[in-house]
Amino acid sequence: MSTTNDTGADIVDGILDAAASVYRFFEGRGLQTLAVFTIVSAIIPLTNPSGFEMTVITELFLFGVLALSWDLIGGQTGYPSFGNMAFFGIGAYTTAILVKSFGIAFPLAFVVAAALAVAFAAFIGIIVLRLRGGYFAIATLGVLLASQQITRNLDVTGGASGIILLQTPTAQEFYYLFLAILVLEAIVVMYLAQTRFGLVLNAIRDDEGKATAMGYNTTYYKTAAWMLAALFTGVAGGAWSLFNTFVDPITAYNTAWNVEIIAMALLGGSGTVVGPILGAFGLHGLIRMVIDTYFTGWQLVVLGAVVITTVIAMPKGIVGTIEEHASAMEYYKHGGQAAADSSDADVADPGDGTVDDSGGDSP
Amino acid sequence: MSLEPILRTDGVTKRFGGLTAVDDVDLDVERGEIVGLIGPNGAGKSTLFNCITGSLDADEGTVTFEGQDITNWSEDGIARMGLVRMFQHTRVYGDMTVLENLLVSAAEDRGLGNTFARPSSEAEEHAHELLETIDLEGLADVRAGRMSFGQQKLLEFAMALMADPDVLLMDEPAGGINPSMLGNLIEYIRDANTDQEVTILLIEHNMDFVMEVADRINVLAHGEKIAEGTPEEIQTDERVLDAYLGRE
Repeated sequence: MSTTNDTGADIVDGILDAAASVYRFFEGRGLQTLAVFTIVSAIIPLTNPSGFEMTVITELFLFGVLALSWDLIGGQTGYPSFGNMAFFGIGAYTTAILVKSFGIAFPLAFVVAAALAVAFAAFIGIIVLRLRGGYFAIATLGVLLASQQITRNLDVTGGASGIILLQTPTAQEFYYLFLAILVLEAIVVMYLAQTRFGLVLNAIRDDEGKATAMGYNTTYYKTAAWMLAALFTGVAGGAWSLFNTFVDPITAYNTAWNVEIIAMALLGGSGTVVGPILGAFGLHGLIRMVIDTYFTGWQLVVLGAVVITTVIAMPKGIVGTIEEHASAMEYYKHGGQAAADSSDADVADPGDGTVDDSGGDSP
Repeated sequence: MSLEPILRTDGVTKRFGGLTAVDDVDLDVERGEIVGLIGPNGAGKSTLFNCITGSLDADEGTVTFEGQDITNWSEDGIARMGLVRMFQHTRVYGDMTVLENLLVSAAEDRGLGNTFARPSSEAEEHAHELLETIDLEGLADVRAGRMSFGQQKLLEFAMALMADPDVLLMDEPAGGINPSMLGNLIEYIRDANTDQEVTILLIEHNMDFVMEVADRINVLAHGEKIAEGTPEEIQTDERVLDAYLGRE
C-alpha cells in the first residue's frame, strides 16, 4: 500500500483513475464492444482503402489472433511458450502442401491444418507442459527450432526454398477471413474466461500446486489450453501461407514473430482478452507504419526495447495495470486498509507478472 | 455411521535420505472430530500432512480414508474424494478476485458438464454465504493477492469449505492471525465442524488455541508419535513436556 509517494505520481494516478473508469465501462460489455469492432472493421474495405492499408490491417488481425492464442497458454495459464510459431508453421505448410500438391480446396485444407496443429500440440504438450517457467520456455523454443529444421530437411516441404502458391484468394477475401478468425477466437476466449475452465487456467497460473491440492488434474487443463492455442494459430498459419503466396522454413517458423506476439500480449496486458489484441494492433501498427518506413531494419531493436520496458515498468501490461488499479480502488473503497491487520500489512505480491514457481510445500 | 475412523494412518514412514522425517506414525481421526496435531518444529507434522494428501509418497505404511486405501494416490484424486488441505504458507490464487477464488473451488461445479459452463448459481450462492460468514463480502471483487495475510487465510479456509470436504487438514490456521481474531477463527472452525459436518485435523503451534478447539490431540516429536489424548491429558503428559522443553 505504499508505492506512490512521489510528486508527479498524482498525475499518473489521475490518468489511471480515468482509465479505470473507462475500464469499468467496458467491463461486462465485451460482446457489445466486439460487435462494434466487427462492424467497423467490416466496413473499412468498402471505403476504398489502398492495397497497402488493406494488407496492414489484415496483418493486424493476423497478429491479434497469434497474440490472443499465445495468451491462452502464456497469459491465462502462465506457461510462457516460445514455440507457438511451430503450430503456425505446421498450419502454413499443411495448407500449402494440400492446396498445391493435392489440389485440395482451401477450407478443407484449413481444417486438416488445424487438426494437425492440434494433434501436434497434444503430443508435445504432454511432454513439455510438465516443465515450468524458464524451463518450459526453453523447451518450447527447442520445439520451434526443431520443427523448422525438420521442415527444411524434408522433400515434401520443398526444403529450404519452400513452396510458392500462385492461385490464392483476393486481398478482400483474406481481410474478411482473418477478421472472422479473430472475432471467432475473441468470442471463444471471452466465453471461456467466464467458465470454470477459464477460472482453472487462471488458478494454474497463480498457483498450480494449490490447484492440484484443490482437486484439479492440471495436466488436462494445461493441455486443453495449449491445444486451443494451437487450433487458432494453426488456422492462422494456414490462411497466412496463401495470403503470403509463399512459405519457407524461416518465415513459417518465425522465431522473431514468436517474440513479437509475446511482446504484444505483455504490452497490452496478458491474461485479458482485449489486452493481447490491443497490444498486437499497437505494436504491429507501430512496426508497419513507423519503423518499416522510417527506421528500416530496427524492428527487432524496438521489439526488444518494448519487452524490456514493459516487463520493468508495467509487468501487467496496459490493460492489466488499469485492471489492477481498479481493483485497488475497490479494495480501499471497502475499507480494506482498515480491515487489514496492522502487523502483516501487505504480504500481497507486488504485482509482478513473472511466472510463479510453485512447487509443493516444503516438508 | 461407520465404526471405522474416517481417516487413519498406519505405520506411515517418510525418509529424506538418512533422515526419517515421519517414523511409523499411527493416527486415527474419527468422523466428526476436531483433532489437533502438535509437536516442536521439525517434528514431521507437515510432512505427515503431505503423505496423507498425496503430495509426498510415503515410504512405508498406509493411509485409509473413508475405509479406502488411498496410500500414494494422486494428490488431486485424494482432494476430489473429499480430503482437502490448507497450507502453512497460505495459498490463494493471488491474481484472481476473491469471488473467483471461491467459485473455482466449488464442489457444486465439479462435473465434466460444468467445465465449460459459467459457475452455477448454487456455487455463487454458496460463495456469497461463506463470504458473509467470514466477513469479507465487501471484498468479493478485489484481487485476492491484494488482501492482508489474515484475510487471505480466511479466504483459503472458505475455499476449502467450498470444496465440500469430509475431512479438512489445516496447517497452522492460527499462525500469523491477529490475536483479536482468534476467537472468530475458533468459531468458524467449530461451525464448519458442527454445521457442515467437516472432520478436522489441524496442526497448530498456538497451544491456547489448539487446547481450546481440539477434542483430541496427537503429539509428534522427531517424526514419532509420542502421545495422544484429550487436551487435559496432553498438558500434563511427561513425554510431551520433555519434547517441548528439550529434555531427553
